[in-house]
Amino acid sequence: MKRANIGPFAGILGGSLAAIAIVAGLLPNYWVFLCTTAVISAVTLQSVGVVTGRTGMISLCQMSFAGIGAWTVAWLNVHGAPGSLPLWILIGGLVAVPFGVTIGLPALRLRGINLAVVTLGFAAAFDNVLGAMTFPGQAQFKFVPRPLLFSGDRAYFAFCVIVFALIALALYLLSRSRFGAAWMAIRHSERATAAHGVSIPRSKVSAFALSAFIAGIGGGLLAGQLGTLVSGSFDIMQSLALFVLGTMVGAQHGDGALLGGILTAFFPELLRRLHLPQDLGNIAFAVGAIQALSMGASSSEALRTLLWRRRARRLRRQPSSARTAIAPGPAAMPGTIFPGGHGPAPALDIAGLTVRYGSVVALDRVDLKVAAGAVVGLIGPNGAGKSTLIDAVTGFVNRYDGALMLEGCGLDGLAAHRRALVGVRRTWQQTRIAPDLTVGGYVRLAAGRRLSGGELAQILDWLGCPDPEERIAAIDVGTRRLLDIAGVVAARPRAIFLDEPAAGQSHEESMRLALRIAEIPARFGSAVVLVEHDIDLVRRACSQVTVLDFGQVIASGPPDRVLGEEAVIKAYLGAAQEGLTV
Amino acid sequence: MLTAALAGLAAGGTYALLGVCAVFTYRLVAVVNFAGAAVGAVGTFAMVMLHQAGMPLVPAVAIGLLAGTIASGLVGAVMSTWFAESDAQTKAAVTVAMLVGLIFAGLRVTGGQHPRQVPALFPGAAFSLDNVVVTVAAVVTIALAIAFAIGATLFLNRTRVGLLLRALSEHPMTAELMGIRTRLLSAAIWLVTGAATSLALMIVAPEWEPNFMTLSELIVPAFAAALMGSFRSFWLTVVGGIGLGLLEGMASNLAWLSQYRGGLPFVIIVAVLLWGQRGARWDEAR
Amino acid sequence: MSALDASGVTINRAGLPVVRAASLSLKAGSISVLLGANGAGKTTLLEGISGVVPLAGGTVTLEGRRIEGSRPNQRARLGLAHVQQGRAVFRLLTTEENLRIACHREGSIEQGFELFPELKPRRHVAAGLLSGGEQQMLVMARAFVSRPKVLLIDEMSLGLAPLIVRRLMAVVRELADRGLAVLLVEQFAALALATGDRAHVLRRGRIVFDGDCASLRDAPEKLHRLYLGEGADGDPGGCFEMPRPMEEDLP
Repeated sequence: MKRANIGPFAGILGGSLAAIAIVAGLLPNYWVFLCTTAVISAVTLQSVGVVTGRTGMISLCQMSFAGIGAWTVAWLNVHGAPGSLPLWILIGGLVAVPFGVTIGLPALRLRGINLAVVTLGFAAAFDNVLGAMTFPGQAQFKFVPRPLLFSGDRAYFAFCVIVFALIALALYLLSRSRFGAAWMAIRHSERATAAHGVSIPRSKVSAFALSAFIAGIGGGLLAGQLGTLVSGSFDIMQSLALFVLGTMVGAQHGDGALLGGILTAFFPELLRRLHLPQDLGNIAFAVGAIQALSMGASSSEALRTLLWRRRARRLRRQPSSARTAIAPGPAAMPGTIFPGGHGPAPALDIAGLTVRYGSVVALDRVDLKVAAGAVVGLIGPNGAGKSTLIDAVTGFVNRYDGALMLEGCGLDGLAAHRRALVGVRRTWQQTRIAPDLTVGGYVRLAAGRRLSGGELAQILDWLGCPDPEERIAAIDVGTRRLLDIAGVVAARPRAIFLDEPAAGQSHEESMRLALRIAEIPARFGSAVVLVEHDIDLVRRACSQVTVLDFGQVIASGPPDRVLGEEAVIKAYLGAAQEGLTV
Repeated sequence: MLTAALAGLAAGGTYALLGVCAVFTYRLVAVVNFAGAAVGAVGTFAMVMLHQAGMPLVPAVAIGLLAGTIASGLVGAVMSTWFAESDAQTKAAVTVAMLVGLIFAGLRVTGGQHPRQVPALFPGAAFSLDNVVVTVAAVVTIALAIAFAIGATLFLNRTRVGLLLRALSEHPMTAELMGIRTRLLSAAIWLVTGAATSLALMIVAPEWEPNFMTLSELIVPAFAAALMGSFRSFWLTVVGGIGLGLLEGMASNLAWLSQYRGGLPFVIIVAVLLWGQRGARWDEAR
Repeated sequence: MSALDASGVTINRAGLPVVRAASLSLKAGSISVLLGANGAGKTTLLEGISGVVPLAGGTVTLEGRRIEGSRPNQRARLGLAHVQQGRAVFRLLTTEENLRIACHREGSIEQGFELFPELKPRRHVAAGLLSGGEQQMLVMARAFVSRPKVLLIDEMSLGLAPLIVRRLMAVVRELADRGLAVLLVEQFAALALATGDRAHVLRRGRIVFDGDCASLRDAPEKLHRLYLGEGADGDPGGCFEMPRPMEEDLP
C-alpha cells in the first residue's frame, strides 16, 4: 500500500526533474518553445480530464475558460497589479471559476447533453465577445512579464513543468479521496452514487468549477509564454479541438494529458517537416477520438489495460483466490461493536406505502416494521414489488403515498442522497461499482466517513474481498457483489437493503453469505432488509420474513411459519423451482 | 425597432430550419447531432466551388445537395455501425469529434477562413419596409422551415413510414423484432436531414459571406431554437428560431449591444434551460 | 419437419457463456415450454433465436432455412415473432397503431381485436395508459397479426393476476391449435406444464431435460431436482447430464 501511495509521487517528481534537465539543458531554443507549448496544453487538457474524463460530462468551452484566465493575467499586468505572474495566474484561474459555476448550474440539473449544448453556446458567445474587445495590452504591445526567477525560456519551461506536476499530483490525491471517487462513480452511475450519500449536483458543479480553474491556469501560463495574446488562441475551434484530443488520449490520467500535450505541440511539427498540411493533425485527432469512443477506452487507457491484464494474470496464478478466502466462522472476528442497534424505536417503519406507475399499482398500502437489530427477509415472485419497495424507501421513486420513518424521523421529502446520509443504504440487483475505482476507494466512498486502514482491512477480510489496492475492473462480478455489501456496512447505517445479494453465487457461497448477513446487526448496528430468491439463504439469515405478492403483503412472521402458509405457497404456485422447499 | 428586427428574418429562418432538422434527428434516431450544420456546409461549399469552377448553377446545386446528403449519410453510417447501443452522451461526443474533423477538412479543402462569395439562389428583395429590405432568400428560408415542420408533422402522423419511425424511436429493438428495417429507416433520416440542411445553408449563405467554419457553427443558434421546442416540438422550434433571428436583428440596431449579438444564442439557451427546469429537481438518474 | 430447429446454440454475454450448446426443436401446432431458475439463460436463448444477441456457435433453422446470420427484422419477416419480457408496447402509440406496425396488410389488425376483444374499446388509447394485462394482450395480439409461423413468448405472466395469466394461456393454446409453433418461457411452471406439450429445462445455460410436459407434471420432485441439480445420483429420468456448477467451468 505504501508503495502505491508513493509511486506516483516519485514518478511525477522524477519525470519532471528529468524533463527539466533534458529539455532545458540540451535542446535548442525552438524545441524548448515547443516543449513549453506541450506542457501548457497538458495543463489545459487536465481540465478536460476532470470534467469529461472523470465525471463524464461533455464540456466544449475549456479554452474559453483558459481565455478568461489569460485575459485576467493581461488585465492585471496592464493595470500594474501587485505581485507577479504566478499570483496573477492563480487569480486568473479563480476568476474562471464563477463562470464555470454559472454555466454549470442550469445545465447540470437534468441528465443528458444539456451541458454540451450550453458550453458550446458559451464558447461561441465568448468568441464573439473576445472578438469585439481585444486583450488588455494587445494594442499597446504591453507584454506580460515573467517573474525574475523564470524569465528565460528554459526557466519558464521549468516553471510550467512544476505547475503541471503540482496539478497532476493534486488530481491524483483527489482521485484517491472520497470526493474524487464520487466523480468517477457519477460517471458510471448517478443513482448508485447518490445511494452512497453523495450529492450529485454538488459533485458535478464542483468538478466543473475545478476544471474551469485548471483551464484558467493553463490560459495564464500561455499569457506568460507568449507575452501578448490573440483571441484566436481561445476560440471555439480551440475548445472543440481540445475536447477531441482529451477524449482521444484520456486526459483524466496525468500521463494521458501529457501525451495529448506532446501531440498538440509536435504532431503539427512532424507534419510540417513531412511537408504535409498541419491541420491534418486535428483531423487525425478527430478520428482517434471516435475510435477511442467506440472502443470505450482512450489510447492511454488501452495501454494501461494491457499492463493491468498482465498484472491480473500474475495475481490469478497465486493459489489463494479471494473467493476461497472467506473466513470460516465468527471466531475470526473481534467482538461485537453495536450490540443493540442505534435505539429503541423500530429502525425502520414503513406505513401504507403505495406506488403507482400509470395505471399499474406496484405497491399497495404496504406496512413493514423492521426492528433494530433484525434481519428481515422480503420475498415474493418476480414482479411482486420488492425492488420498487427498496426504490421508494431509498428515495429513487419520484411519487409515492404513505409514511416512512427511520428511528422515529420522517424520511419523506428527502432526496436519495440525504436518506443515505441519515442512515438508509442499499445495494443494487446489478452491481454498479465504477470499474475505474480501487476496492479501497470504493469502500471509502460508500462509507462516507473516515475509515482507518485497519477498519477497512477488517471489513474486506470479513467478507473475503480482495486487497484494497486492487482495481474493480480486475475483479469478477461475484466478488463485486460482496464488495457491494462491504460498502453498505462500512457506512454503519441504521437500515440496509440488500437486493438479491446472492444472485449468481453458488449454493455454498450463498450459505456463507447468509452467515455474514446474519452477523451484520451485531457487528455494524444496522437492521437489514434482505430481498432474495434463494429461500435457503433467507431461512438461514433472517429472523423474520415478509412476503409480497402483487404489491401487497400477504404474510409476515418467523420464516418457518410464513413459508408454510397456504397463501405463500400459492403465490409461488408452480414456482417450487425458485427454491422454496415447502 | 420592429423594422430593425426584420433584418434578422433571414438568420431566423436559417436557425428555424436547422433547428427543425436537429429536432428531427434527435426524435427519430436519438442523436444530438453537433455536426448537423457542418454537413450542410459540405453541400454548400461543394456547390460554391463547382460554380466557381464554371459549372452552371442548377447542376452545381444538385451536386451540392448530393454531397451534403452523402456527408450526412456517412455520419449516420458511423453512428449506426459503431454507436447504435451507446448512450446519448457518447453519441453526442462522437458528433462533436466529427464536427471537428469536418471543419478542419472543410477549411483545408475550401481554402481557409477567408470569407467566400456565394452565388445567390434567390437573389433580390421580396419587399422593403421603412428602408429595411427583406430578401427573397429570407422569405424562402422561413417558408422552407415552416414547410419542413408541417411536412415532418404530417409525415410522422399520417404515413405508415412515419408510424414505423415513431415506433423505431421509442424501442429500436422491439421495432426490429416487428420486422421493421430499422437500419434502412435510420439511414433515410440521416440522408433527408443532410439534404435539408444543405439546401437551407445554400439559400442563406450569400447573406453571410461565410467560410466553412462559420457555417458549421450555425449549429449553436440551431440548438438554441431546438431547445425552445425541448428537442420535441417542431413548431416551437420554428417560432424559437425566427424569434432568435428577430432578436439579433434588434440587437444589431443598438450600438452598445450590436457587437455582442453573437452571444444571444447562449443567453437564450441558458434562459430556456432555467425556465424549463424551474420545477424540476435533480433526479439522480441512471 | 419441425418449424424451428436450434442446434448447439452457444451465447456469450460479456465474454462468459450464458447458453451452452443448447438444442431444441419446435413443431407446428405444439407448445414447447422452456423452464429454468432465474439466470439459467432462458431469455438469452430466446434472444439468440430471434437475433437480439449474436450466437457464439450453433445454428438456427426456420422451416429449413438457416437464419442465424440474418438481422432480427429479416427473421421476423420470415415468420418468427418474439414477444419480449416486460410488455414492450410502444407506449406513445395507440393500441391500433401498435397493431398496424406489425401487420403488413391493413385488414388483418381486426384479427388482433378478435383474439382479444377486450382491446377493442381501447383502440385509440395510448398503449402506455393500458393496464398491465391489456398491455400483455396487446403484445400478444401484435405478434399474432404479423402472421408468424413460430412464436417465442418470454415471461408472459410477469406481474399479472392469475386470472389474466389463465386467459393468456388459453389464447396461447388456441394459437398453437391454429398451427403455430410456440416456445413459452414461464416462471409459473405448473401452469405452463399444464398447457404445454413438450418441456425443456435449462440449468446454468445447458438443456438438462427434453421430454413431455406430462412426465414433469406428474413428478414435481423431478422438476425440483432439475432446477437445483441436487441428487444427481438418483434416477436421471430425462436428463442428459448433470453439469457441474458454472463457476468451475470458467477459466
